[in-house]
Amino acid sequence: MPIFKIAVFSLAILFFAQCKKENLITNYEVVETATFGNNLNKDKDKTNIEFHSILTTNLFQKPSSINELTRTDRVIQSCGDKTLINEVIISNYMNTSFVKLPTRKFMLDSTEKFVTDTYIRFFIRRPTEAEKTWFINFINSNKANPNFRPELVYSSFSASDEYMFY
Amino acid sequence: MKRREFVKKAATLTAGSLVMPYLLPSGRLFAKTNAPLAEHVVYVIFGGGLRQQDSILQRYLADSQNFAAEGNLLHNMLEGLPPTSKIAYGTGEGGTTPIPKILSKTIQKQGTIFSEMRAISGGHYGGLNSLVTGSGVAGQGLKVRPINPTVFEYARRFGGFKATDTWFIGNSIGNSLPLLNSSNHPDFGLPYGANFFAPNITFGSDGYATLQNAKIYHPQEELEPMYKMKNFLDNSFNIKKGDMPGIKNTDDERTKIKEFISNTFIRQAAGQLPMPPVGGGDGATMGYAAEVLRVFKPKLLVVNMSGIDGCHSNFTGYIQAMHRADHALGFLWNYIETQIPEMSGKTIMCFVPECGRNKDHNPIMDANDWYGYDHGDANSLRVFGGMVGPNVPANLMVGNEANPVGKVTDFNLTIAEILGYKNEVQGAGLIDSQAKSLFERI
Repeated sequence: MPIFKIAVFSLAILFFAQCKKENLITNYEVVETATFGNNLNKDKDKTNIEFHSILTTNLFQKPSSINELTRTDRVIQSCGDKTLINEVIISNYMNTSFVKLPTRKFMLDSTEKFVTDTYIRFFIRRPTEAEKTWFINFINSNKANPNFRPELVYSSFSASDEYMFY
Repeated sequence: MKRREFVKKAATLTAGSLVMPYLLPSGRLFAKTNAPLAEHVVYVIFGGGLRQQDSILQRYLADSQNFAAEGNLLHNMLEGLPPTSKIAYGTGEGGTTPIPKILSKTIQKQGTIFSEMRAISGGHYGGLNSLVTGSGVAGQGLKVRPINPTVFEYARRFGGFKATDTWFIGNSIGNSLPLLNSSNHPDFGLPYGANFFAPNITFGSDGYATLQNAKIYHPQEELEPMYKMKNFLDNSFNIKKGDMPGIKNTDDERTKIKEFISNTFIRQAAGQLPMPPVGGGDGATMGYAAEVLRVFKPKLLVVNMSGIDGCHSNFTGYIQAMHRADHALGFLWNYIETQIPEMSGKTIMCFVPECGRNKDHNPIMDANDWYGYDHGDANSLRVFGGMVGPNVPANLMVGNEANPVGKVTDFNLTIAEILGYKNEVQGAGLIDSQAKSLFERI
């Protein structure tokens, strides 16, 4: 009889300690994560043609022809200060009717969104808090200047060092 | 003050004054080591490969095509009678009309000519490198910046000049010419590089289509905030020195250069640019160089010509280009002396080709059945050069065929002496060890 009790007790222990089938997870949830990186890894400079191909697509929403890009490349090579000549070329682009820019009203009414969108558009990243704060303050401090337009913001992003790298 | 404290402070101050250089108001770290000989230098690379026999030795066709026709084609530079037969070096049909002389007194009469110098390389890029760096390194690869500092970097670092004080005007963007405005030397490099234009591109049809319609922004209401934003963005992105894509001008300089680009298109359309009376070829490059001189009055401007390199396959074109290059050089000197009061009497102009040409011809004949000449043999290391301006001895010819004096690498040190920082350039130890200032060679 005691042997029977021991056997039942042992079976009970084995029953409770047995391996259990795992609950298989069949549904995965996606955690939303920003995919825009920072500027630390931009260490390759764009060629002149890459730079202007990306820039014109950005500003005109359509790519330039290879003839235009080759011509632009030659002009950039003909000037020692690449940033300067890019600024002149950018202002040449800004002087056309095809350039697509946000309105001044949007810049002033939705400044934070304008700044974030501009960083993503040109630098493929979100601004840091410090950058966002600086730009919001700068735009607000220039509200009274009627000549302060999105064109100037876009021009400064287009001519910046960071935009020359990827 | 306690004695011990006084001694300690005095010792610290003395050591500090010895170790830390004194920053002068001009931005220079050290006072100039020699008194400048002139305020400005214009350095003309009379380039493309100039054969000694056809140029300074004035043998015209006698030493190249076996015709008994000798004479001087460079009548603005050199004394000597022109050829009297087989005239083909001028303009018009068959090149029979020589270009009228510009200078009433030749450069030879006004300055000093080194009639037999030695080049470092018989090739273009090696030769150009030796001219701008003063270095004896002949194995400079194409598509890379010079290994050793250029004349511009010495000027900016030791002379304390800003970017718009130094200019390199190239006649094309080929042959890696745009890379000669700065070396990639770690102690110098692009932060000390010169502004560069290849005017035939910048202000030619390509430049017109790309730059001419540029907006002129209001300096305070538009440019100022734009520069502030750009500078903020640049400060947030730490670009490494070696990754700089080009030289950097200050905001004020950038504004001035933008105005220059815009005004040049306007003056070009109005026919107001200073151009040599007979244009074509290298003449336009010299005209734009004159325009840069007029506007910026730089401390140092280097301008490159290369039209004479057609000699590989067209000897007639070569002698015509040589005659035009002399015309362009005469125009430039005359323009500086008569049209730019701020530079007149304060400028020394130096000139030299980057290499000569071969002794023997190649088999290619042109329309006149004259043979072409390549470059690369010992004869192509024979060149002549010179200088003219204040403190340069007038009417002096140094050296001759039997007695060569001077090397092309001397020009870098000569420019350093003219602008007042020769010892620093020598002390940097990066130029040809045999190079001397041409003033020492005299």
